[in-house]
Amino acid sequence: MLATTLYEDGDHRWIMFGRDPNKTEGIIDTNQYLIQSGNQAILLDPGGIELFAPMLSAVLKFVPAEKITHLFASHQDPDIISSLGLWDQALPNAKLYSPWLWESFIRHFGMERIEYCAIPDEGMTINLGRIQLQFIPAHYLHSSGNFHVYDPKAGILMSGDVGAALEATDAPIWVDNMASHTPKMKKFHQRWMPSNEAKLDWIRRVRQLNINIMAPQHGRLFQPPYVNEFLNWFEELPVGIAIR
Amino acid sequence: MATPIFVTAASIAAELHQAMLEAKGLALTAKNARALAVRAGSKTVGFKAITHFIDELASDIIRQSQYINGVSEHLSQHAVALWRATMAADKFEWISGQHSTNLDSLQVAMKKSYESREVLSAQLSRGLRELEQQLEEGDKHIRTANLIATSSKVEAASAGDFRNQLEVIAQNITETADKIRAHLSRARNLLGQRQKHN
Ligand SMILES: [Fe+2]
Ligand SMILES: [Fe+2]
Repeated sequence: MLATTLYEDGDHRWIMFGRDPNKTEGIIDTNQYLIQSGNQAILLDPGGIELFAPMLSAVLKFVPAEKITHLFASHQDPDIISSLGLWDQALPNAKLYSPWLWESFIRHFGMERIEYCAIPDEGMTINLGRIQLQFIPAHYLHSSGNFHVYDPKAGILMSGDVGAALEATDAPIWVDNMASHTPKMKKFHQRWMPSNEAKLDWIRRVRQLNINIMAPQHGRLFQPPYVNEFLNWFEELPVGIAIR
Repeated sequence: MATPIFVTAASIAAELHQAMLEAKGLALTAKNARALAVRAGSKTVGFKAITHFIDELASDIIRQSQYINGVSEHLSQHAVALWRATMAADKFEWISGQHSTNLDSLQVAMKKSYESREVLSAQLSRGLRELEQQLEEGDKHIRTANLIATSSKVEAASAGDFRNQLEVIAQNITETADKIRAHLSRARNLLGQRQKHN
């Protein structure tokens, strides 16, 4: 499992995990994120059960288990949180922040010790160590109950499946050319994102944020000017139509 | 609740990873020390000889840390697999306690889960033993590092104009050895606690 530090300011850090060269074949490659501040850390979309052991091992290289105080699942998909039953054993005192809509579904992955903190539809802000994180509503992008994570201090938006691209495990981590990147995103967004209305509403809100990095859960990450280029591209793309 | 073994193993891997980073620093110190000793000439022949030992020691520690790191990562993966196999086996046993309708149709799966539970737990104990041996090996390296640190201080004392600079390097070696020792002993403690629970 490859670990890349995206941002570092004192003990405030963003680390991305992914591009696992030992990943079992046939499972989609995912990006996991760790945000750390002070004595607390949160894992964003910690991933599927197949990924649990390499993920835990990679994460412990940065923080001890007892400092992983929070988990976040943007939505209910298996590539996001099917590892929950194992994290539940590893981090018995952690809190899981996830959409209220999915609580009774996500509990099916097995959760006896971790506390489920339901995020209301309008989103919320939490404290992590010395920083604040915002859970930004992203409903219907693609899941009907869905959130992204925005760190105003670092200027990083974890955008879940929005901006996702299907690529080889050894692909570079940064988008460096929109023209060659959009074909890798097009079908995914058209098929997975069901609502143009939800899409436009999200774009309007996200344009007001100050974003240095947009970090999706699959594929490459965006930095300016590609963040805006992505938003423009997405705005023009008709979604919820790829059924033929 | 006892810490699950996959957490222990991953924590050990993390300690060894830190130890390896320290050893890489040590290799760099050795390189600087050698450059300095070469410039200083005849007064520091002793120190120069020591730098070769430091260099060797650093690469030994790096190699060994990487090895232990690999062993513990595998161990962690085995432990997760064992946990899943055990969970399945437990569920099967629970079902057998409830009723026997169509239980035959589960035979193959049950047998498989019992077998893999056994194979995995054997692998796990082997892995744990190996880990213990390797960590003991690591202690030997630390003793060597302490010897080297002491001799470096002695040699530094007779290095004339270069005394101060060499003393800084000798101090650096001592501190790095301490840090590596701390990581190794934390790893051994983790393993020790684990075995108390078993
Ligand atoms: Fe999804
Ligand atoms: Fe996804």
